[in-house]
Amino acid sequence: MKPPAKMSKPTSLFVIFFSLFVMSEAVFEDQVGKFDWRQQYVGKTLFAHFDSHSQSSKKLFLATDKNIFASFNSRTGELFWRHVDKAGPEGTIDILLLHGQDALMVVGGGRLLRSWDTNMGGLNWEAVLDTGSFQAACFVAMQDTVKHVAVLKKAAISLHYLTNGHQKWVENLPDSDTVQYQAVYSGGEEEVYVLGVVPNSHLTIIAYSLEDGEIIKQRSVEAPWLSSVESSCVVVGHGVLMCVDTATLALYALPIQAEEAPQFNQILLQVTPVQPRLEVSPGFQPVLVSSQPHPARSPISEFFLQLGPDHHVLLQLNADGYTIAPLRDFQPAFLVSFSTTGEKTVAAVMTPKNETSDVFPPQLYVHAFLKKDDSVGYRVLVQTQDHALTFIQQPGRVVWTREEALADVVTMEMVDLPLTGTQAELEGEFGKKADGLFPMVLKRLSSQVILLQAWLAHLWKLFYEARKPHGQVKNEVTIETLSRDEFNLQKMMVMVTASGKLFGIDSKSGSILWKHYLENVQPNAVFKLIVQRTTAHFPHPPQCTLLIKDKDTGLASLHVFNPIFGRKSHIAPPALPRPILQSLLLPVIDQDYAKVLLLVDDQYKVTAFPSTKNVLQQLQEMASSIFFYLIRSDQGNLSGFRLRKDLSTERIWEVVLPTEVQKIVAVNGKRPNEHVHSQGRVMGDRSVLYKYLNPNLLAVVTESTDAHPERAFVGVFLVDGVTGRIIHEAVQRKARGPVHFVHSENWVVYEYWNTKSRRNEFSVLELFEGTELYNSTVFSSLDRPHLPQVLQQTYIFPSPITTMEATLTEKGITSRHLLVGLPSGAILSLPKMFLDPRRPEVVTEHSREENLIPYAPEMPIRTEWFINYNQTVARVKGIYTAPSGLESTCLVVAYGLDIYQTRVYPSKQFDVLKDDYDYVLISSVLFALFFATMISKRLAQVKLLNRAWR
Amino acid sequence: MWLHVRLSEVCLFLQAMFILACCFSDMESGPIATSGSVQPNGDRFKIEGRAIVPGVKTQDWISSARVTVEGEEYIGFLGTDGSFVVNDVPSGSYVVEVISPGYKFGAVRVDITSKGKMRARLVNFIKTSEVIRQPYPLQLRSSGPRTYLMKRETWGWTDFLMNPMVMMMVLPLLIIVLLPKVVNTNDPEMRKEMEQSMNMLNPNPELPDVSEFMTKLFSGSKSSSSKAIGGSKASGRPAVKRRWCQNITCTSGLRNYCNWSCHGNYNAIFKKSFFIRLYNCFLSRVFFPSSEIQVCK
Repeated sequence: MKPPAKMSKPTSLFVIFFSLFVMSEAVFEDQVGKFDWRQQYVGKTLFAHFDSHSQSSKKLFLATDKNIFASFNSRTGELFWRHVDKAGPEGTIDILLLHGQDALMVVGGGRLLRSWDTNMGGLNWEAVLDTGSFQAACFVAMQDTVKHVAVLKKAAISLHYLTNGHQKWVENLPDSDTVQYQAVYSGGEEEVYVLGVVPNSHLTIIAYSLEDGEIIKQRSVEAPWLSSVESSCVVVGHGVLMCVDTATLALYALPIQAEEAPQFNQILLQVTPVQPRLEVSPGFQPVLVSSQPHPARSPISEFFLQLGPDHHVLLQLNADGYTIAPLRDFQPAFLVSFSTTGEKTVAAVMTPKNETSDVFPPQLYVHAFLKKDDSVGYRVLVQTQDHALTFIQQPGRVVWTREEALADVVTMEMVDLPLTGTQAELEGEFGKKADGLFPMVLKRLSSQVILLQAWLAHLWKLFYEARKPHGQVKNEVTIETLSRDEFNLQKMMVMVTASGKLFGIDSKSGSILWKHYLENVQPNAVFKLIVQRTTAHFPHPPQCTLLIKDKDTGLASLHVFNPIFGRKSHIAPPALPRPILQSLLLPVIDQDYAKVLLLVDDQYKVTAFPSTKNVLQQLQEMASSIFFYLIRSDQGNLSGFRLRKDLSTERIWEVVLPTEVQKIVAVNGKRPNEHVHSQGRVMGDRSVLYKYLNPNLLAVVTESTDAHPERAFVGVFLVDGVTGRIIHEAVQRKARGPVHFVHSENWVVYEYWNTKSRRNEFSVLELFEGTELYNSTVFSSLDRPHLPQVLQQTYIFPSPITTMEATLTEKGITSRHLLVGLPSGAILSLPKMFLDPRRPEVVTEHSREENLIPYAPEMPIRTEWFINYNQTVARVKGIYTAPSGLESTCLVVAYGLDIYQTRVYPSKQFDVLKDDYDYVLISSVLFALFFATMISKRLAQVKLLNRAWR
Repeated sequence: MWLHVRLSEVCLFLQAMFILACCFSDMESGPIATSGSVQPNGDRFKIEGRAIVPGVKTQDWISSARVTVEGEEYIGFLGTDGSFVVNDVPSGSYVVEVISPGYKFGAVRVDITSKGKMRARLVNFIKTSEVIRQPYPLQLRSSGPRTYLMKRETWGWTDFLMNPMVMMMVLPLLIIVLLPKVVNTNDPEMRKEMEQSMNMLNPNPELPDVSEFMTKLFSGSKSSSSKAIGGSKASGRPAVKRRWCQNITCTSGLRNYCNWSCHGNYNAIFKKSFFIRLYNCFLSRVFFPSSEIQVCK
């Protein structure tokens, strides 16, 4: 019995450690939603449908460019549910069709056909389609009931049952190598029509039998003017194909079902008896808009013809099927749409109220419904260019707006809020130079009076508001009432989105305080956000600079703005005629306290911003100590440069990693605002192991070009950014990316995929100088003769990860945690203690004294460590950490599809009283003790007196 | 002994598993070669299964759940009955997981051969080739709701009183204070009964009495007492006629202060002396942490 008892000792120790961590990390029940919030987004809408299944339904279905199928509450704009498919082309939604309770979706370029139960949010069925790129799909009705869906591919058409997704038939399309089949149409008859075109030659119409997929008829019609069915043709009325030709400005009508050899009927726009005459705007491709309210019936005979960006005409096809009659001319009108309810159809036209509206809405969805008094009501969903989604109800009232641009946040920063006026006044007092004793005393007194005034005003306000009924007190955050709180926990989140829209979000409530849409931002632009001046320099306003760079050309532009109000700054940014390779923010400040931004162009010339005389002079003085590095991952080249006095540069080192063997994946330095509190670690034998804290250290991660699992590897190089010296290199064999890594203090943590064991592994590299420090006062890369000692340890991580970041606190005293984003949407807070290369395999007296956890190969994942409990963040792309005014507290923002903001306390809240601090108990105990002493004192006195009398 | 038997059983089991793994080894190499790089024209297969959350309607959880294969490499969605199919998966070895923010599901490793043969087994990241078969099509049962949140430690009188340290302090105090008041020591009958019970308490003449032990301890003859215990154990229990037996076993567990079991009919003497015995047990535990005291009559 003895040995097991002995064995249990380390494990019990481990358990104790474990419970300690559990205590330090988990979110408490009463903290839910107290300082954290989540906002869920879906992205830019591609398809939208209103639930017309029941009259009172408030559901709205969207399919978006982020491969998401979502259901919204149309009254509030909140999500009912959302299904996030794989990102990239494999999950793209090609089409969304709604029929009753079922939503049909073709996914991944015609790869899968899915049917969703919109009520429950579950999948009805999923069918794999034959290969071939997707062209079109439509419902097919038979005797007034919709039973099938037809899917048209490049070379085949297939019919599927709606109930189970089984394929009824599939037919190859004839001559699919010459004819481009682009549309499929069914008007409730026994046939399905496929329309194909040979550009500038002829149109092909094939009718398939619904029953067995047999070709009933096949015709070709001469159409030398037609290049695409998709963009210039619609079906109108009882199966009449209406096409528009840009060159001759004519409409062509063709009955699809015609038995004899059909012919296009030309209706010239200019000669039609339309008043006023119809004219196409120069350079505009006319567009037709029609509507088929129910798949069992033919489309309505009214249709829109768009003649210019803001010009639409409503036309009607006459019963003869050859002539058209104009109904109404709409100008200006940006968007048109049809909607049908019962027997009534509504045509919605969107006209701009004022010309200045710069956000052009590209999409409009209208839902019409019959009201109780049989009049037609409507709801409108508008998608604008800046990805905002607005829902409008009957009298033109905006019910809600969703900023879907936030589904794709690229980069962000957290900026301190400004001080209130009185606080600023006080700050100003200390900021100014002293001018004698007496004026200083006066100034102090006056500022104290101001403070007193403010306090009294505050009290009065409290008193005044307390008398009001509770509901009337407004607690909304506005830009005017924003001010820094006691512990600097509330900050302004400046978020940059891929669409070029900037947002200012209050970190406490999550409300959007300002937004600014940058036009003319290329879709493939890369952004870098730089805080040049913080709020600390009153009265100078804070200043942020956004570097927008075109990925292809490398040409960049700067947008300078105030991060608190979102307003564009008056400071003119420098013109950047050449592609920008690198940007770096120097700690040098100009006379207005703005940090200097250096931009290096492709001729290695440096542009400074701001570039005042003062700055240039400072730069000249400091030039010899300003170094920077450039990465050319296509050439496998990493090089270091030094600034010259004339703002040109000289290359001082170069590291070449041959591209045939490996490619540079990522390079990362340390965060400039990071503080390291302790220089070393005290070991079990009381000696000190000093950390190697090189501020110029770069971590370079490479992946092998050979993807074979046996030969693939991941390399990590630690390079000194000033001298180019390779401090350490670690190669992980039989491993491949994606590599996620964090470089901080004296350690690098990286994660990769082990191809041999098929698992994710974490590896930690820690650098130490040894037990003696070479130069304890200052670190210089040029004067460090000894290479550091490197310790490494690797662990198994039982889940793939999507992103990784380390917590950051004001002074770096608090222990560090790693925040790991998992594909499940959870954010795991992993104590750095678990990633310590000094974790011993055999527990010794020393290691126990150092509080080292014994080595265990597998890293634990506990749901209690998820800082976002069940508030998952889909597709976590980045985690941003910022220090707060409290040393114990780190502010965390996770962004991806959703945005989640919270606070973490890696070493518990050691500097403030806990939320659950029991004031009642402590005061009652105090009072009880106080009274007990009083009473016992009295009793003792009485006893003494009695004894004296005896 | 039992442990050894179990171990050998486990060994046998492992051996069996190893043989099983060998049978599969021909396909094992296949997945390794293909995982990671997707074959351009290779066959695509589907992973099927069903997820169940016992006691919860499917509509309450399926809309927020999904099935992930090897992270987010392939994604499947749950049907209205909890079943799922992940289509278009090339041959290889994958970890399949049902991800739901509300409910816990275990992960399963699914191996697909190049011919489309499927096998499901438990995920083991340390022994990656170990095979513990799971049913295929997958049957994933939720093991309950996820626990993310901690309960605050509330302070209550009961918690304070039920604290073992407080119990240890208060109980003997109560006995010392209350017992003399309950039992009239001047009554000769009572005294006799007490004596009897004390005798019963200390059936082994070798085992020191509490008071005796204390005096011994302070007088410094610790070794002799421990010897005495050894002696008593060696000599075995005295062959006394037993009407009932009471075992109080003190173990060295953290919270396991006293396990006691009782057989036979209680009588008044036992009831009165029980607390004394317990107290005795506490003290002896303090001085002889892993000794067993057997009290028999």
